Amino acid sequence: MNMHDITVKHGQELRMTRPDDGIRRGDPLLVVDNISLSFGGVKAITDISFDILKGEIRAIIGPNGAGKTSMLNVINGFYHPQEGTITFRGEKRSKMRTHEAANQGIARTFQNIALFKGMSVLDNIMTGRITLMNRNMAWQALWRGPAEREEIEHRQAVEHIIDFLEIEHIRKTPVGRLPYGLQKRVELGRALAAEPALLLLDEPMAGMNLEEKEDMSRYILDVNQQFGTTIALIEHDMGVVMDLSDRVVVLDYGRKIGDGTPDEVRGNQDVIDAYLGVSHDE
Amino acid sequence: MSVELLNFFETFLNGLMAGVMYSLVALGFVLIFKASGIFNFAQGVMALFAALTLVGFMTGQVPFSHLINAIFGTELHNWGAGLPAFLAILLTMVVMVALAFLIEKLVLKHLVNQEPIILFMATIGLAYFLEGLGDLMWGSDVKTLDVGLPSGGSFWWEDVTKTWAAQGAEYYGMYIDLLDVSAALIAVVLVIALSLFSQYTATGRALRAVADDHQAALSVGISLRRIWVIVWSIAGFVALVAGIMWGSKSGVQFSLSLIALKALPVLILGGFTSIPGAIVGGLIIGVGEKLAEAYIGPMVGGAIENWFAYVLALAFLLFRPQGLFGDRIIERI
Repeated sequence: MNMHDITVKHGQELRMTRPDDGIRRGDPLLVVDNISLSFGGVKAITDISFDILKGEIRAIIGPNGAGKTSMLNVINGFYHPQEGTITFRGEKRSKMRTHEAANQGIARTFQNIALFKGMSVLDNIMTGRITLMNRNMAWQALWRGPAEREEIEHRQAVEHIIDFLEIEHIRKTPVGRLPYGLQKRVELGRALAAEPALLLLDEPMAGMNLEEKEDMSRYILDVNQQFGTTIALIEHDMGVVMDLSDRVVVLDYGRKIGDGTPDEVRGNQDVIDAYLGVSHDE
Repeated sequence: MSVELLNFFETFLNGLMAGVMYSLVALGFVLIFKASGIFNFAQGVMALFAALTLVGFMTGQVPFSHLINAIFGTELHNWGAGLPAFLAILLTMVVMVALAFLIEKLVLKHLVNQEPIILFMATIGLAYFLEGLGDLMWGSDVKTLDVGLPSGGSFWWEDVTKTWAAQGAEYYGMYIDLLDVSAALIAVVLVIALSLFSQYTATGRALRAVADDHQAALSVGISLRRIWVIVWSIAGFVALVAGIMWGSKSGVQFSLSLIALKALPVLILGGFTSIPGAIVGGLIIGVGEKLAEAYIGPMVGGAIENWFAYVLALAFLLFRPQGLFGDRIIERI
């Protein structure tokens, strides 16, 4: 295969190679319906419903222990809710394994970075494309023909992501040796490599300084605008949330207490109470 | 060179060769331990089972013949002249992959997220089951295995080394078993092939990813169950190679499963999570054993080859519990 084919295939930028689901921008991509989740007697999520529209940035906020991460874990199949349904790309989903969710186009990052620490940045991001690769092991073992072509093709796409995130200089560095901010960026890169229909970001800016936060915000906006990727993010920095997101859902003690545009949520009395604390014995 | 020095070299060399055999078994352990955190007690029995199956195919034995004959009163023993070595090895590999698949389906799948000790217990059960199955399928008699590897001492090496001794010294050259040499070569090829596979292919990348972080691997769409089948297949393949080597050397017999115990000190030395560690650990144990036997042995009445490895491992546990190459154990308290 000559290099020309690759350039033609990928153009100058990343492109969505997943089959078109026929959902138009602004229609619901993911619908969460009356989800309840408990661990033994502990209720983590109680009867939560909301939707994520295609092309939007949806923030999930709430105080510590509100059930935000549990919600993401339900969406990408780590947890199986006892009640309620999730509809993704028009398909109602029953019990789903995590790797199946990934195959459907849900990619995520984690609160406490879950990268493959011993592997290079390049290898880490390449793993993100596993769901898009389909040559079987026999071909790979031979390392000729289709498998080699496929590897080159995906490598090309990964290089675009590396360029996009401006991490060319650390391409070959083992991830475990990188500073925290860069690790967060690599993790975003790995999620992007899957060319996801829905990108879940769990506190992408936790523990970052102002400059790193600005960079990350820019990447998130770029991803959303350039690639049209739908994003759901959990974040504690209210300034960031209000600036970035199109709509916000607010959780507290596993229940939904607010849902709407940043301005609507800001004015919601329940939300203000949850964040500032309110005495109940007036 | 003086004869003493040459003798030392000879012992050293034979130690290296013996070490390669230990490394081969240890390698199977490390592969599974890295990818799934399971200490696979059945690795030695897998080598035995692979060797039994291989001999069975090569000699054209009917599997379960004793059982069939006892139930139906038939006189089945052989179905033909047997298969050529190459074909038999290929077929045995198919059996090992099928075994990996069944192990995942019947055992591992039901024990996801269980404590390591429970998985360890499961592999002990698996070891006994496989031993029994091997017995039932192929019978318990000692079999010879000859896949066409060269064996016996190398005359060439003897002639070459003869000239190294000082003029007039009484020296007849070094002894080295050709089978050991081929085992060493095969082990080298195997390790290189395995590391190339894991470094440069998508599946290899997935294997490393799973070894590194289960949760993250799941989130990028890697199916743990598929990876486990692959890992156990590879471990089965390594077991087959080890089975061929040990079987050719000392016959296919049930005590073969005990070589798993020799792999333990190798793993303690090399670290449970390191492939190079398994190799180097095996070599150190092999050399250490042979040297100790030759030089310390006479002082204490000999036969220390049997326990020397364990003492070495014990010493290592005192000073470097993670092994030479294992991951440092750092715990936040």
